[in-house]
Amino acid sequence: MADDPNAADLELVRRIKKGEDEAFREMVDRYHSRVYSLSYGVLRNAEDAEEATQDTFLTLYRKIGTFDESKKFFSWFYRVALNSAYSRARRRKPAVNVSLEDYVPRFGGDEASPQFQAWVDGIEDEVIARDLAERAEGFIAELPDAYRDVIWMVDVEEMRPADVAETLEISLPALKSRLHRARLFVRQRLAEAASAPQPTGSGERRAAS
Amino acid sequence: MNCRKLILEYLGDYEDGSMASAERAALEAHLSHCPPCVVFLNTYRATGRTLRALKPRDIPKNLAEAVVSFVKARCKDKP
Repeated sequence: MADDPNAADLELVRRIKKGEDEAFREMVDRYHSRVYSLSYGVLRNAEDAEEATQDTFLTLYRKIGTFDESKKFFSWFYRVALNSAYSRARRRKPAVNVSLEDYVPRFGGDEASPQFQAWVDGIEDEVIARDLAERAEGFIAELPDAYRDVIWMVDVEEMRPADVAETLEISLPALKSRLHRARLFVRQRLAEAASAPQPTGSGERRAAS
Repeated sequence: MNCRKLILEYLGDYEDGSMASAERAALEAHLSHCPPCVVFLNTYRATGRTLRALKPRDIPKNLAEAVVSFVKARCKDKP
């Protein structure tokens, strides 16, 4: 295993350019999970994510000649993946305005409930954890794409911020600013959800979101 | 260091370890006498935990195969 992942990627790129099917297969093996996961983050269902993944690798195959080998492969390829996913995404509702002012917290009152405390302490039960995760997915989907990409890639995919900045072609400070705003938005909404009285049935929950 | 500054300006850097030590000391001093900020920090971390749980665990079986077949079928003529 190469010490430098990018060098290993470039090796595969060169072999693919020469028409080696085996190298293409290796590239698929190496990246299909991450591409699927990124696609899922945008599209939020397995079928669309799978199709977007196929599209992404098709674009790789067709466009590999345009890849500039002086750049990092993953950053170019993840951009292809995001573009494939977004081109499949149905037209979304207008995104929220991620102004910092809105997410300075109002302390007091809503932090009192046991389930809020359980969430804060990381000991919430599985049903609540799953419910909050589903809601978090919805909250992320409300963000502008530029913020959504950042929080998905850093906090869900656990990619390094520097790598995400390179992929999105923004500076690291710009990335950190977007990430923090996105987190503040999701935090606020999750804190409200965690504080809310227990829903009586899933029907009600769905209607409310 | 006040609550606003902590939350809006410093929290991100504090959490990723990139704060200078003097500033970090000021932040931690603030936390030691500001329970609401401690709660806020803990909810910020709880948010991170909830988000990590979103990563899809179930990659479709044979996805790699499906991708290779898909591409082969559409690229019968080499570029």
